[in-house]
Amino acid sequence: MIRRPVFRKEVAIVGIGQTAYGKALPGTAWDLAIEAILAALADAGLEPRDVDGMCRFAPPFEPVSEPQLVRALGIPELRFFAESPLGGEALGAVLAHAAAAVKAGLARTVVVYRALSQSKGGRFGRADGRGPADAGAPRSPDAGPGADVVVPEEDNRSFAWPYGLMSPGQLFALWARRYAIVHGLTDEDLTGALGSIAITQRRYANNNPNAMMRDRKMDWDDYRGARMISEPLRLFDLCLENDGACAYVVTGAEVARTLRDDPVYVLSATQTLSPYREPMGIYVSGELLELFPPAAAGRLFAEAGVDRGDIDVAEFYDATSYMPLRSLESYGFVPDGHAWRYVTEAGTGPGSPLPVNTHGGHLSEAYLHGMNGILEAVRQLRGTAVNQVPDADVALVGAPAGSATILAR
Amino acid sequence: MAVVPGMTELTAPYWEAAREKRLVVQECQSCRQVWHPPLPRCPHCHAADLGWRQVRGDGTIYTYTIVRHPTHYAFAGEIPYVLAIVELAEGPRLVTAITGVPPEEVHAGQPVRAVFRAVADGVTLPYFEPATRRDIEERG
Repeated sequence: MIRRPVFRKEVAIVGIGQTAYGKALPGTAWDLAIEAILAALADAGLEPRDVDGMCRFAPPFEPVSEPQLVRALGIPELRFFAESPLGGEALGAVLAHAAAAVKAGLARTVVVYRALSQSKGGRFGRADGRGPADAGAPRSPDAGPGADVVVPEEDNRSFAWPYGLMSPGQLFALWARRYAIVHGLTDEDLTGALGSIAITQRRYANNNPNAMMRDRKMDWDDYRGARMISEPLRLFDLCLENDGACAYVVTGAEVARTLRDDPVYVLSATQTLSPYREPMGIYVSGELLELFPPAAAGRLFAEAGVDRGDIDVAEFYDATSYMPLRSLESYGFVPDGHAWRYVTEAGTGPGSPLPVNTHGGHLSEAYLHGMNGILEAVRQLRGTAVNQVPDADVALVGAPAGSATILAR
Repeated sequence: MAVVPGMTELTAPYWEAAREKRLVVQECQSCRQVWHPPLPRCPHCHAADLGWRQVRGDGTIYTYTIVRHPTHYAFAGEIPYVLAIVELAEGPRLVTAITGVPPEEVHAGQPVRAVFRAVADGVTLPYFEPATRRDIEERG
């Protein structure tokens, strides 16, 4: 069933803002959120008093609350605010909620934000919250030196952590290995594919003044020589851990055109959930590799009124290099089982059929739970990206399990 | 020091069985479907009358990873270790670790069988190790 379009060009992104990205930035996540939101509003030509809606990633992922921001920014009243769960899978959802609120008249100007302070709030890649310099006692009060660590049951974590399956990187290693198993790849085939993604994104980042890896070149020797973290994933297959914040401003298309000449329109935005298809779902009854359900991918394109060939640039969520690889297939750009060869032959770099993660992505720009991918898509559609795709009209930004958006100028 | 599962009313029978060196999965007493991890209702027929079926502990490796970098201090001394998703002969998949074999010899589709290891006072986890030729013959 083709459903009628929901957002097609009725809602637009009119402002984007961000902080610097860095391993350890001064200030709290609250400070960072404020800085990014003020930048996004300034970019839109708006003031905090114009804001009447907010959408954010649900806690514990997003540490900064709406009340904190309303107080600190002097926003007179929010009449719509909503939170989306499941970490990176909030990426398309927060925009879908913001756009729906604007379209329904629940709010006129909605700020979407994501602030991250891993230097103070704990690193996502460390299950025990320890940083490299933190050799002290573990955080959890119930786990003194030598004491057993009791894993509270939550989303089946108590069935995984006791074996040492504790981090997203380990889980994506299981997925990447499964991909190789299903499609008959050798280790060398898989390394070639994952390395192509990682090296291409690093090259994009080397041109990007915002990228944490701007000055760090990486060739095949660097990539292959990096230590294995969780086989088959090496160090540079994994995303960065950092501080920073992103924000953008959503409003109706008519208002948008009064604010700027180059609003970026929302064509579609999706979220989806099926049994065990949440981001860390392991126990799916069918094939583990099927992350983005085909029905959701179909809905994303049908509602947007565009097809795969219309997409000029894609910003895929990349907690690891495996995810953009598989996203090429799950979003329907490349047939199942072909992406590993496609990325080594056609590639995802400048001039390729579909440039991917043109800012460097989470692997080489910074990790902002996909929000920096939205900002990059907006820059591409405005024609202001550092790695500008010529004449980019339509962009896709998507997380692997079905939270995505198609944007157009 | 070990990392041990916290238990809820729903999950405790699984771990209590493991302590007795039995591997169990939840079973609907109405439609007889089995699944893992436990749920409060049968996802197939929505019956609330659920029990536990003891399974043989035979399965195959669905996917695996050799972990060479610990993300938790409790596993620093275990590196390298092999995490796996094992598909049981009865259908459900489990997260587990593979023991009794050098990590480099683990491969997809490998027949494995459950073994039980006490990791802390009163806590036993099911692990899996490569099945012997005899195990495989007995499976028929």
